[in-house]
Amino acid sequence: MKTFSVIVIVSGIFIASLFFFPETINPFALNAMERDILLYIRLPRVIVAILMGAALGASGAVLQGVLKNPLADPYILGISSGASLTAALGILTGIYIFGQFSIPLTAFAGACIASLMVGAFAWKSGRFLPDRLLLAGVGLSFLFYAVLMLLISISTHEGIRKAVLWLFGDLSIADWSMIPYGLIFITAGLFICLSRARALNALMLGDELAHSLGFSVHRERLLLFISIALMTSASVSLGGTVGFIGLLVPHIVRFLIGADNKILIPLSAVCGGAFLCLADLIGRSVMSPMEIPSGIVTAIIGSPYFLYLLRKKDVLGS
Amino acid sequence: MSSDRKHIILELDNVGFRYDRHKPFVRNLSLSVHDGEFIGLLGANGSGKSTILKLASGIVKPSEGRIRLWDKDLQWYKNKDRAKLLCYLPQLLDIGIPFKVKELVSMGLYPYDILPAITVNEAIDMVGLGEKADTNITNLSGGERRRAFIAMTLLQGAGLLLLDEPLANLDIKYQLEILRLLRELKEKKNISIIMALHDINIALQFEKVVLIKEGAILGFGKPEEVLTGDLLKEAFDVNIRIKKQESGEAYISYGIDI
Repeated sequence: MKTFSVIVIVSGIFIASLFFFPETINPFALNAMERDILLYIRLPRVIVAILMGAALGASGAVLQGVLKNPLADPYILGISSGASLTAALGILTGIYIFGQFSIPLTAFAGACIASLMVGAFAWKSGRFLPDRLLLAGVGLSFLFYAVLMLLISISTHEGIRKAVLWLFGDLSIADWSMIPYGLIFITAGLFICLSRARALNALMLGDELAHSLGFSVHRERLLLFISIALMTSASVSLGGTVGFIGLLVPHIVRFLIGADNKILIPLSAVCGGAFLCLADLIGRSVMSPMEIPSGIVTAIIGSPYFLYLLRKKDVLGS
Repeated sequence: MSSDRKHIILELDNVGFRYDRHKPFVRNLSLSVHDGEFIGLLGANGSGKSTILKLASGIVKPSEGRIRLWDKDLQWYKNKDRAKLLCYLPQLLDIGIPFKVKELVSMGLYPYDILPAITVNEAIDMVGLGEKADTNITNLSGGERRRAFIAMTLLQGAGLLLLDEPLANLDIKYQLEILRLLRELKEKKNISIIMALHDINIALQFEKVVLIKEGAILGFGKPEEVLTGDLLKEAFDVNIRIKKQESGEAYISYGIDI
């Protein structure tokens, strides 16, 4: 029954995003312009929203498990701030080596460098330590943001507004050409963390119990981190940073179905994807033709619901 | 049957361990555990009970000596193979993750790719939590939670359980409940159990006791041989005497200096 309702809601959002908002397009009577809007604007945008949301939902669920910390959000690891910094550097220096792909590619490069840095900090003599991961992530985030703000404050470049918009999640740049590589990295990340879901369950009981259940604790944690890094990097480079999803979607799913990661991770991906798709739909419809960045919409809808759940049920770690 | 004719399933041979380079924490420790034995590990706080259990389960590696599990050196086992033979439960099971009892218990199957000898429900029934299979472990009492974890180890099917203070912080009712459950499992499934303990009265009920001080063994054997006034004085630094009731049951009596 629960599965059925999820399928209905998700397909409803998908269909509404494609055909009904901001203006209705009848898929059975398309003219040439409507077909182009559908195929080259709405469809890639919906797919990017689903991919990004799925990546953030799943990586949030995994990270909260790895750190056993309910406040963990994939952005806390500094991956997104690394991406933002390099993307802004690209925009402000005006180096567009890769044409229209310049922003996503520089962002992806920044995300990868930041992931390697934070991962290297967490690794110490054969052990992958979650506390160090968290603290290194927070530290690097501060550093990257400081440099980013410095750049923005001293720059007079006309691209500055674009850079700032991108920081709040700009799905309007979505385009078919970005989808294949986003899809590859996000699928790879999802595949890794789904195949390690049992190990994550065991790790949540503590390192000693995970060892006793036959897992190589630090190796499993490193693999899970790699999956988070892949998904977060790809999602940031697809459409910037969209807050709330990585933090709160896994919580909401956990409230509904419990803590078992074998179900929690895939369902967080599905709900994250559907939720970002819905937020984007609202963002581009309510004040059309002006757009509200998705990150703002996700926070405005999601936070009250989360606070309502918080009053009703227990939270992870309480 | 004398214990000599049983298999040795765990053997610590001259094991040493140091957390800090200059100061050994466990020294020259040799201990053999036979098939089906129920052993209490007794010692003061910081005497090394937990470290010995962690060494025996492979969580920490010895700096000197060897540890054998069945016929092979512990370090040569693959993680999953070791998990089928040996299971460790830490002292603190205060895990704030809302797993349901049946989800937790079914994690005992993780080392396996095949179906287990008993089902998840059977394991839950064995520890008497049948009606709470769908309850979150965060909503269980300390004793119930301990039993849920023991059900997980049953499913894991290991023949050797290493339990770190499984009775700590439990009311006497739950302590006896856990002890009864462990005894029953030992009889039914011929499981060997080593558990760290604090309570000397409870240690008196064991078949065998190991008395530890500063990471070394003071005595190993039947409780009446090991738990003598002199050795207890040395281990706990207080005057303790073991007395017998008219019924023959032993109990401890503290000296006047406490």
